[in-house]
Amino acid sequence: MKNYYEPDQGIQVFLIYLTLDNKSMKKTKPESAFNNSGILKVLLFMKLTVAILLISLVQVSAKGLAQSKVSLKLNSVELKKVLIQIEKKSSYRFLYNDDAISLTNPKVDINVENMLVTDVLNSIFAGTNLTYKELGHKLIVLSAKDNLIADIKIIGRVLGSNGEAVPGATIRVKGTTVVTSADVNGYYSIVAPDNATLVISSVGFDQKEIAIGGKKEINVSLKESEKVLDQVVVIGYGTANKRDLTGSIVKVSGKEVADRPNTNPIASLQGKVAGLYVVNNGDPGAAPDIRIRGTVSIGQVHPLYVVDGIFNDNIDYLNPNDIESIEVLKDPSSLAIFGVKGATGVIAITTKKAKVGQTTINFNTSYGFKKLVDKIKLANASQFSTLFAEENANNNVSTPDYSALTANTDWIDAVTRVGNFSNTGLSISGSTEKNKFNFGASYISDQGIVKNQELSKIILSLSDEFKVSKGIKLGVNFNTARTHNPYDATWVLNSARQVMPQVSALPQTFTVADPYTGVVGPKSIYSGLDVALQSSGVVNPLLQLQNEWDRTIDYNNRYVGSVYTDINFLKYFNFRATWYGDVSTQDKRKYVPLYYAFNPMNNTPYLSSSQTSFTENVNDWKKFQQDYLLTFKRVLGDHSITALGGFTTYYSGSFYRQVSVKQGTDAASLPIPNDPRFWYVSSGPWGVVDPTGTNSSQSEYSTVSAFGRILYNYKSKYYLNASLRNDASSQIPVQNRNQLFWALGAAWEITKEDFMKDQKAFDYLKLKASTGVLGNQTASMLDGTPLPYPSYPNLNTGVNAVFGTNLFAAAQQSYIANPNLKWENVNASEIGIEGNAFNNRLHFEFNYYSKITNNLMTYVDRSAIGLQNELINGGSLKNWGEELSATWNQKINKDFSLSFGGNITFMKNQVVSLASDLPNGFLSRQFMNNGSAESRTMVGQPIGSFFGYTVAGLYQSYADILGSPVASSIGSYRPGDFKFKDIAGPGGTGPDGQITADDRSVIGNPTPKFMYGGTINLTYKRFALGIDVGGVYGNSIFRTWGSLESPFQRVNYAAFKMNRWHGAGTSNWEPIISQGDRINYNGSTYNIEDGSYFRIRNVQLGYTLDPKLLAKCKITNLRLFANIQNLKTWKNNNGYSPEYGGDATAFGYDNGGGAIPMVTTFGLNVTF
Amino acid sequence: MKKNIKIIGGLLLSATLFLTISGCSKFLDRQPLTATLNDLNQGALESQSLGLYNALRNGANSSLPWLDFNSIRDDDAQKGSSTTDGAEINTEFETFQYTKDDWATDWYWSDHYNMLNLCNKELHWADSLKVTDPASLRNIGEAHFFRAYAFFDLVKAYGQVPLINFYYTNAADGIKPKASIAALYAQIDNDLDSASKLLPLNWVVGGTNRYPGRLTSGAANTLWAQTYLFRGQWAKVVALCNTVISSGQYTLDPSFTDIWKDGLNGAGKNGPESIFEMQATCGANGTNDNGADGWGTSQNVRQGGATVAWNLGWGWNVPTKVLQNAWDSTDPRKSMTILYSGQSDGGPSTGGYGATLPPYAPGSGLDQPYWNKKVYSDPAMRQYTGKINSNGGADWINHRILRYADVILMLAEASNELGDGATAAKNLELVRNRASGNLGAGRTIVPTIAFVSQAQMRTAIKNERRWEFAMEGYRFYDLVRWTPATDGIDAPNALGGLGYTPKNALYPIPQPAINLSGGVLVQNPNY
Repeated sequence: MKNYYEPDQGIQVFLIYLTLDNKSMKKTKPESAFNNSGILKVLLFMKLTVAILLISLVQVSAKGLAQSKVSLKLNSVELKKVLIQIEKKSSYRFLYNDDAISLTNPKVDINVENMLVTDVLNSIFAGTNLTYKELGHKLIVLSAKDNLIADIKIIGRVLGSNGEAVPGATIRVKGTTVVTSADVNGYYSIVAPDNATLVISSVGFDQKEIAIGGKKEINVSLKESEKVLDQVVVIGYGTANKRDLTGSIVKVSGKEVADRPNTNPIASLQGKVAGLYVVNNGDPGAAPDIRIRGTVSIGQVHPLYVVDGIFNDNIDYLNPNDIESIEVLKDPSSLAIFGVKGATGVIAITTKKAKVGQTTINFNTSYGFKKLVDKIKLANASQFSTLFAEENANNNVSTPDYSALTANTDWIDAVTRVGNFSNTGLSISGSTEKNKFNFGASYISDQGIVKNQELSKIILSLSDEFKVSKGIKLGVNFNTARTHNPYDATWVLNSARQVMPQVSALPQTFTVADPYTGVVGPKSIYSGLDVALQSSGVVNPLLQLQNEWDRTIDYNNRYVGSVYTDINFLKYFNFRATWYGDVSTQDKRKYVPLYYAFNPMNNTPYLSSSQTSFTENVNDWKKFQQDYLLTFKRVLGDHSITALGGFTTYYSGSFYRQVSVKQGTDAASLPIPNDPRFWYVSSGPWGVVDPTGTNSSQSEYSTVSAFGRILYNYKSKYYLNASLRNDASSQIPVQNRNQLFWALGAAWEITKEDFMKDQKAFDYLKLKASTGVLGNQTASMLDGTPLPYPSYPNLNTGVNAVFGTNLFAAAQQSYIANPNLKWENVNASEIGIEGNAFNNRLHFEFNYYSKITNNLMTYVDRSAIGLQNELINGGSLKNWGEELSATWNQKINKDFSLSFGGNITFMKNQVVSLASDLPNGFLSRQFMNNGSAESRTMVGQPIGSFFGYTVAGLYQSYADILGSPVASSIGSYRPGDFKFKDIAGPGGTGPDGQITADDRSVIGNPTPKFMYGGTINLTYKRFALGIDVGGVYGNSIFRTWGSLESPFQRVNYAAFKMNRWHGAGTSNWEPIISQGDRINYNGSTYNIEDGSYFRIRNVQLGYTLDPKLLAKCKITNLRLFANIQNLKTWKNNNGYSPEYGGDATAFGYDNGGGAIPMVTTFGLNVTF
Repeated sequence: MKKNIKIIGGLLLSATLFLTISGCSKFLDRQPLTATLNDLNQGALESQSLGLYNALRNGANSSLPWLDFNSIRDDDAQKGSSTTDGAEINTEFETFQYTKDDWATDWYWSDHYNMLNLCNKELHWADSLKVTDPASLRNIGEAHFFRAYAFFDLVKAYGQVPLINFYYTNAADGIKPKASIAALYAQIDNDLDSASKLLPLNWVVGGTNRYPGRLTSGAANTLWAQTYLFRGQWAKVVALCNTVISSGQYTLDPSFTDIWKDGLNGAGKNGPESIFEMQATCGANGTNDNGADGWGTSQNVRQGGATVAWNLGWGWNVPTKVLQNAWDSTDPRKSMTILYSGQSDGGPSTGGYGATLPPYAPGSGLDQPYWNKKVYSDPAMRQYTGKINSNGGADWINHRILRYADVILMLAEASNELGDGATAAKNLELVRNRASGNLGAGRTIVPTIAFVSQAQMRTAIKNERRWEFAMEGYRFYDLVRWTPATDGIDAPNALGGLGYTPKNALYPIPQPAINLSGGVLVQNPNY
């Protein structure tokens, strides 16, 4: 096999000679006859092809001599000799069949000086029965005059339906093995009989056949395939046809996230991809909690984001509208190439680039409303009075007189609103032969449902690719986002539910003195809370929110860009070098003014915030990456191989600086003005720098990696993928610095086998399996606090000795350095089957996966026993499950088509072992007062299992108490309190007749048994309706509110407290109302709620206007749509939402916040 | 073949790239951008010693658990605060229904072992560094002191505990059975012997005290005397007290209120009577707040239903009615120790600032009738630090751990037990005279008590300790060590009404510690 590359024509032509047994060189006499019959014509053609190829082999060295004119002086020579001389002196080559024509007679004389070769031929063939035909590429075919073959050279270009070139498209002469490929710009040329048919195909497009019909230029427009298996997907460091892969990559089109009202595009993926667990967050711009195929670590679990090649841990600088596609990589054979960052899965994002063709302008805008739904239910004023009086009576405490408080405030309503959402963008793209550019600008405004919570963002993107020569391209991608971060109002909802309804949310006007100037005047003041009723820790959220929200300036500027060069050389090779940078800066200044509150009991104002102060943060993040990739791609007969070798380095640095300035109210102090001009350290004679609030933290790490990958298939039937990566990391001690990761995958396309030929059900069926070792670059304390230098323990901050009024910093390292540290690794494997059936209407995919994480990087916290902590490798974790997804596409008639899709993922997780050095033998995360809410990671159980007592009921009477196991070791109790079940005694013995800490057990699993999603798309004429649904089943939520609040605080009662025990037999579940009964402050099954839900995630109705009408206005496309997100959720828990994220070892807690709004948007999309 | 050649070529290229990694070691060598212990080759022991002082500020040594174990358990102090706040502490420490697993109990244990491990580590370092310079030797002395201090607290609270006097990093190595009381005291003697030899007499350099409140040999000797007092080794007590007295470093503060005085720039702290204090500080507008809020904030007046100006702290550890009733009102110390709700704070002469407290009225006024005046914060300091109104607190108040009056009374008690009534009476008189306001012989207020009998003098000294050290956390362990007493001043008599039984002399070992030990650690008797 050989190909032919002729730079001076700008066309890269691959001519493939398939008769490998023919080892002969130029002009070997073919064995068969050269005659007129149709079949033989084909044979002839084949032979010719052989010849062309062989000639071209030699051609490579001769092309420098190419000339079209020759000088010859020959006497009485055979024609053949003349031709040989011409070949020697020019770049022309001749093709002929010795059996068909005779070149021995007649002998000719020739004497020409600098004569065109064609003229020479005309002269020597004159009078013979020979004729010739020039085929291009300076190939000349000789034949007998009556036997002139009609082979012609066809040139043309292959484009996609969007006008963009389809590089590498295969052009085959139907019924032959004559094949060529289009070049990077879609140009091709092929020699074929003029009555033949060309078959044009390319991965990701529907195949097309075109009869040549004598045409010499055939431009082809291919339609993008809607078939999943023909998709081109982004894999690490390249792209591939999904068909050529042995793993599981799911592609989500940019269209599916573009119109969704989510500032963070990842939020739109919920329910769309099997194996991808997304727990959304209702705060503007907040990143969802994302896990791919389970919780694979006790440290970092979020996936790696790869945006146009650059590695990232978030994508908050992208506008959903700028995304071309999102690929979710889940399996070892796709992930091993990411080495030490591969274990948690990868979400690869490709941003939009210019399309070939005329300049396009696209404008899109959407506007909508966010509304709180599924509000939690709290006691109203009269219910509060009832419960409060009852509680005081229960405790023999007199109820304070709070008759002065007469409001009946719904505090959730008081702090929430209907928020607005808008996203408007304009993009311009254009391309010429040499240059492709795309420019986009957009503005997003995203208000939270909590008052004054608003994020806004300006995003600019620019990409340009310049073709230096046929083989060399230079390009640049640049994205920048300026984000105005919202005032942090994430605490407000939880705070609002705590305030008693009798307190008014309305401000009142008081005449008060400015504490600095003494100037007296009226001021509108929010209520404080009466401490006798609601002790410290409970605040009126409006007091702080309304006084402070507009005193925070928080901008984030992020610049992400890359420059690359892409070189095609030696026919099969591509070299690409890319340099990336991602630099961002956060500038945040938070000022706290002086403000008054009033005591609602006696309407007296007091200074609630009695200091002016500000905190200034300047944070920088710098990430630099360079990739050098060498790709080799070649089809050799039945063998197809794509090999990749690469080298990459990565640097990441974080630099945080904070300064805190405070000013008191004594007469000598000047207040820090309420003016952003002065919210800088040393901006004036006000305030004192607070040394304990002034600090910096900084860290950096780097990795150096080399990798390789081979994608191989035989006859597109048997597939093999192999990859290998070595990562060296600065964070790991030198002796373990290099870690190797690999994967091997195989697939078998059964439908290509002969025995499948006769069946009609399956159009495509592929079995696949892969296995490998992936890495997880994670080092953190158990609560997720990162340890940037795991082998260099930092010194604890805030460790001071005080002598007199001076502080002396002490040095205590926070843990013991461990020279044997290495990264966690994951042994991952997958087997699966995918296929198409019923005329490709059904596509389905089933996978079984298993991931075993070893060497869990465990921060062993021994502070409870007064010992030094340590970071060690130990323990392993298993995640396994099944994924099933299917889609059905059907065109009912010309006007109506439909598609259904669905996916379901069964997830299981188990801790196999833990580090033997753990003091308790398990990992514990404790929350709420006294750690009564607990997530345990213990051997044999799912990660982060909820741990606590089992409620058997309530003690109904003293007799009941006396007849039950003694529980005094966990708190005093009385009738109406929880009766916990006696499960075990000390050391794992059976029930011991006492309720002690030993009676706690696993009471819930925060990981769902399964999750599912579904999509319905209906298209009728120009209307399109899309509905996305999804949900999870079988997980537990740990509700901490309404039971585990601090006993020191008086908070409003949850509405369900109306069902409380208030006498024998009144309840066997809701305990007596009493904050003093400590036994009730133990986490138990009372706190566990069912996390299963089903949600109509998104409904979108779109209408595309008639293009004929639009053409008059020079509009190519105009689409209107209405979208509703989170239309309805069916859930079983008391919280705002059934979705509560968290980190690896503690998630699924409902702490009284977390509302996820319903969002209604209307939008317009116009393309000019 | 060519294909193969190219693949081989590709692999070779990859291999070259792999090799390039070795050239990247510079790119990969990244030392942290913040200091680690290795960067502090100078003064490493000093840094660790300073960390011990930090550990002294933790909960078990200067905050709620300390108050629970040392003060609230006696008859004169109670939890305070409000009815619902920390209700479990009432049960556990006021009514002697000790729990084996709760925050205060677990905290008290683990904080002490934390301190022990820090000391062991510093001594291990000192040992491996073989340091002999004077500064390092002082640091070693500090580690010895704190180790003895922690063991003494543990032996008082729990009796037998594991003797962790070595540095270890593997948790399993720290699992040890209980050591005998004798072994624990032997360790304490050993440590305090070293500490008293290695610590300086004071930290005065060029006429100024460079480190006010830093450990001295006087502190080591005073603590040592206390440990002998608990063992009834009276001669040792006498010897050590005399060493402290003859050092000339300390005098009784002429004014009892000045010991507790609060004010700007550390006024009142580290006075002439101070032998050792847990140091706390807070600068202007809350800057340099060292976070030792446990001591001052946990005990100052709790706002309750009063105006926000009275949000001075959490209001724990308050005087009981028993103390108020038992104490002769002619003793000036009474009004200097008890702060009354609804009354004037008494002004400067009794340690007040001229304010009138809101009335005792749970719900609408203050939650407690009496408050601990020995930690009453100065309004000027509240204003200066900005710890006022809703930001209220008293982060800057020192915990007076060892003071000279204790040395005097220990000497009196030990002398009396040794039959030296004269010395006992003489020293008792020193304290009583000061309490009277230095009125001298023939006074009627806190009059002189002449020696009549050993029993009479014993009772007098016991009572004196009660008044002199009220609310300071001495009384519970005093009552325990005086048990059984013929004069009725012992734990069963004073605390029996509250629920005290003999087993309550020792607190149960926290269940988590027993669990962690895998059964090696055995629970105290009768729990």
